[in-house]
Amino acid sequence: MKRVLLTIAAASLAAVILPLSGDATGPFDKRLSPDQQIIHALNRLTFGPRPGDAEEVRRIGITKWIELQLHPNQIPENPALETKLKPLETLRMDLADVVKEYTPGQQGMMMAMNTPGPFESLNTLLSNEQRRKVLNGTAEERTEVLKALDADKRKQVLAALPQNVVSFTPDFKKEAEEAQKARQEEMRREARRRNPQLGDLLNADQLIAARSSDREQVTALLASLDRDKRIEVASLLPPNSLAEIPELRREGQRRRAPRLVASEDLKEARVFRAIYSNRQLEEVLVDFWFNHFNVDATKNVQTFGNTPNLGHLLIGSYERDAIRPHVLGHFKDLLLATARHPAMLYYLDNWESMAPGSFEVGPFAPVRGTVNGVPNSILPLFGRVQAHGLNENYGREVMELHTLGVKGGYTQEDVIAVARCFTGWTVRSPENPEFVFAPFMHDFGEKTVLGHKIAAGGGEQDGLHVIDLLAHHPSTAKFISRELARHFVADDPPQALVDRMAQTFTSTDGDLRAVLETMFKSPEFFSEGAWEARIKSPLEMVASTVRAMGSEVTDAWTLVQKIAEMGQPLYSKLEPNGYPDTGETWLSTAGIMARINFPTALASGQVPGVSPDASRWKGMDASAIARDLLGHDPSAQTLNAIEAGLIEMGLREGKDTAPSLIASLILSSPDFERR
Amino acid sequence: MLTRRFFLRGSAMVMAGMGAAPLWLTRAAAAESRKNKTLVVIFLRGAADGLNIVVPFGDKRYRELRPSLAIAPPSRQDNGNGGPFGPAIDLDGTFALNGSLQPLKTLWDKRQLAIVEATGSPDPTRSHFDAQDYMESGTPGKSVAGGWLNRALPAAAAGASPLRAIALGNQVPRTLRGEHEVIAIGNAQQFKIGNEETAAILRNMYSLSPDAPFRRTGTDAFEAMKMIGSIGVGAPDAEGGPVGLGGPPRYGQGGELGRSLQELARLIKADAGVEAAFAEIGGWDHHGNENQQLSNLLRQFSSAIAAFCQDMGDRMEDIVLVTMSEFGRTVEENGNAGTDHGHGGLMMVLGGAVQGGKIYGEWPGLEKEQLYEGRDLAVTTDFRAVLSELVRGHLGQNDLSAVFPGFRPGAPLGLLRS
Repeated sequence: MKRVLLTIAAASLAAVILPLSGDATGPFDKRLSPDQQIIHALNRLTFGPRPGDAEEVRRIGITKWIELQLHPNQIPENPALETKLKPLETLRMDLADVVKEYTPGQQGMMMAMNTPGPFESLNTLLSNEQRRKVLNGTAEERTEVLKALDADKRKQVLAALPQNVVSFTPDFKKEAEEAQKARQEEMRREARRRNPQLGDLLNADQLIAARSSDREQVTALLASLDRDKRIEVASLLPPNSLAEIPELRREGQRRRAPRLVASEDLKEARVFRAIYSNRQLEEVLVDFWFNHFNVDATKNVQTFGNTPNLGHLLIGSYERDAIRPHVLGHFKDLLLATARHPAMLYYLDNWESMAPGSFEVGPFAPVRGTVNGVPNSILPLFGRVQAHGLNENYGREVMELHTLGVKGGYTQEDVIAVARCFTGWTVRSPENPEFVFAPFMHDFGEKTVLGHKIAAGGGEQDGLHVIDLLAHHPSTAKFISRELARHFVADDPPQALVDRMAQTFTSTDGDLRAVLETMFKSPEFFSEGAWEARIKSPLEMVASTVRAMGSEVTDAWTLVQKIAEMGQPLYSKLEPNGYPDTGETWLSTAGIMARINFPTALASGQVPGVSPDASRWKGMDASAIARDLLGHDPSAQTLNAIEAGLIEMGLREGKDTAPSLIASLILSSPDFERR
Repeated sequence: MLTRRFFLRGSAMVMAGMGAAPLWLTRAAAAESRKNKTLVVIFLRGAADGLNIVVPFGDKRYRELRPSLAIAPPSRQDNGNGGPFGPAIDLDGTFALNGSLQPLKTLWDKRQLAIVEATGSPDPTRSHFDAQDYMESGTPGKSVAGGWLNRALPAAAAGASPLRAIALGNQVPRTLRGEHEVIAIGNAQQFKIGNEETAAILRNMYSLSPDAPFRRTGTDAFEAMKMIGSIGVGAPDAEGGPVGLGGPPRYGQGGELGRSLQELARLIKADAGVEAAFAEIGGWDHHGNENQQLSNLLRQFSSAIAAFCQDMGDRMEDIVLVTMSEFGRTVEENGNAGTDHGHGGLMMVLGGAVQGGKIYGEWPGLEKEQLYEGRDLAVTTDFRAVLSELVRGHLGQNDLSAVFPGFRPGAPLGLLRS
């Protein structure tokens, strides 16, 4: 114990002295050792080193390896990844097909909306004359018609009568009430037949198995059912009881809420790609740029053709078609692709922004009348109000968050002018969400954006003009460079580096690959100041843990849930700024609890879909296992805490459970929280 | 009755006598002997539309500027096309609650709810994120590292609870960042580590780590875990009946905020010594189809608050809740039955010590020349004036210049009973 304490004292002394003993230069001037550089590059350009990665980089040479990561097309993709993504079919479908295939059928919708069951209406039961007498006639007329019917038919008629008519039918009041009650019971049964509960589908023993926490019991039960019933039952089980049966969980979800399947596919794909892709930098960049141009899958404004959950259908295409192709391309193309994508048009409301007054004539013109005593107001149509003017949302955020930055030099007048320029950038229809320019929504007047005159009569060009202005604005070069440097170097990156990156941005017309090259080749990137300066996001935490352990992932669903528990539900950040990209976002007591519990759960096989394998650490001591997982020595304090704990627990080297326990402790340590 | 409180104090004293009491237990017992006041801040992220939350139906410009968005006034005469959202609930003949805030009306009638109109920040920004940063820092126009609520905590007494400052959720908001330790709790049930021996090793590791931020937060986490384990913060209670009808409170209608306040209520009922708490509810950025969304959100918001107040019962005497949002929204509706980013908004203050049932603040009017930059509600009461009164009157922090540097509050509004 004394030895332990002494080591700690020595280590903390060193920690205190080191920063003081530095020369005049700062931490961003001190170069990392070649070994550190390899680990550092892996921590920043990938979702964390896997076993053997450091050797691979050393073999290829670090410069060449970075070069390759910057040209992902030259890296053959991991066949294992392709196998894992295969069942997630929405990833490869056209947006229009996703919408078509994963929207509940028109017929299904109609059936759900109308009263269920084969009930005849008054229209078929009675002649016109009879119907008039029953519904609008005197009490005598009504009684006369009802008396004349045979008992069975009368029962059906009484069951279908509106309540106010029944109360004015004294002779048959009781019979009517009974008939209506019977009909309600029948309707309930019919509804239940259409939407059965678990108890309707399974016998008592099967029910117990279905609700069991023992996954094998659930699996065995499901295997014993025929396909249709299996899917039906799967759709009624909580997703976590299907955590290792991805195909069935997906089918169940498809039956229950088809529109959510596409976003579930995307979330699982994000985790699989982060863990398995060979083109790691590309995946890191997709994560970065999606967050920069954030859209929230859960935005659910029902004005959009009354189509709930539309966001869930759009984001897959948004990431694949608007973000991914441009992460190493030109910023302007990336900006334009996001501006025109239905996901962004919907999320920041531009799809319904239009020139005030442009919509007053024609078939879509708003219906006006007196509302709240104010004449000439737009009347609500089925609870939705027809668009009739400008919406500033996209106009503001495209400058504040996507390009110039909040201090980039724009005014409220610019916000309005940019919003006017983008009027008419909309989508064809909710059923067919593709970009169209709608001239009848566009404000054709003259605008002034950031001091530039945009002449009247421009049309779709106005928006393109703004994209061009913003993409080439010096504030954009600085803002984007700072965001990239923050993500890859340090929360508060050195200004000199940001300036050099901005210069590259400007001189290469916003070539993002060139900007990254400037950064990766900079002394600041491989400096002490950057070393483990970044706190991992939950996605980075989970992916790097699984990668470091070399675990095999057969189902990513539980990992998606763990990332959400740590505070980063994927594709569900409500606000347009995305997750703030600094350490303080993730550093909290709740975050730490979730983060330190994850490796333990993983190592002890409690994360369904991930199989841990501790065999490679057999016979290794704590410091060797730590080096294997971290790529460098752990802190003395971490090592001491583990060694002291093992002694306390009576666990010695060679005991079978020790390596897996040690590994999970290393992965729960502060040493692994950073990258 | 042998309450858990009694047990806690008794056992701590006994153990203290034996010289073996763990620090947290003596602390908890000491906190117990002091009357514990709690300030709960609820932040409405996304810039809530004050004008459709508390409706200024007495101002005729309101309905003219919002032809399709104005909430129908409480009087039935004028209610031709009231719209699907129901009329407002009259408060004082000039202002009315949005119909979806029905659960708050009871609190208004009990004089536990005060509303401060035309509040906000003097800073002109219409950026959500700058405005939130400034407001949470308590320093309009600049963003500083720490938040006003952390600075508002009095110096920790020897017996202060490790749970004295709580952020409900996974993240610590800027409002609560700073010198005093802050515990972020999404769900108290998650504050445990399966295996005690593993927990001991990790506690050791974090408390000695050379990585200062992780040493600090890790130490706080383990301390909180111990406290939560010892005071027995249990699983959620069964869901109760409708609000106001007695029985267990019904948080279920309150969405995410309901879950947060329920978590907080469990801590307070377990005498965890909470002095400052922060909860948030997002989704107020209604650029389109505002009324329908606002209605759903307000129903959650008011159900959560009403359930919490009911759950706290007599404890409300020691609790003050205050709501805030980064700015208000345009007075005139936009082209999509929504509103864009504006300026002035409103704050609500609730609690047993609140002089409620009253609208505070000066109404600046909605005529063009009365509007801020010709489009937004003007700010007549600085948000710091409201918070200052609560910090001083409720938390007992008299050094306001440290909490809101450079701000000198004017005459007090008189929000709290003295």
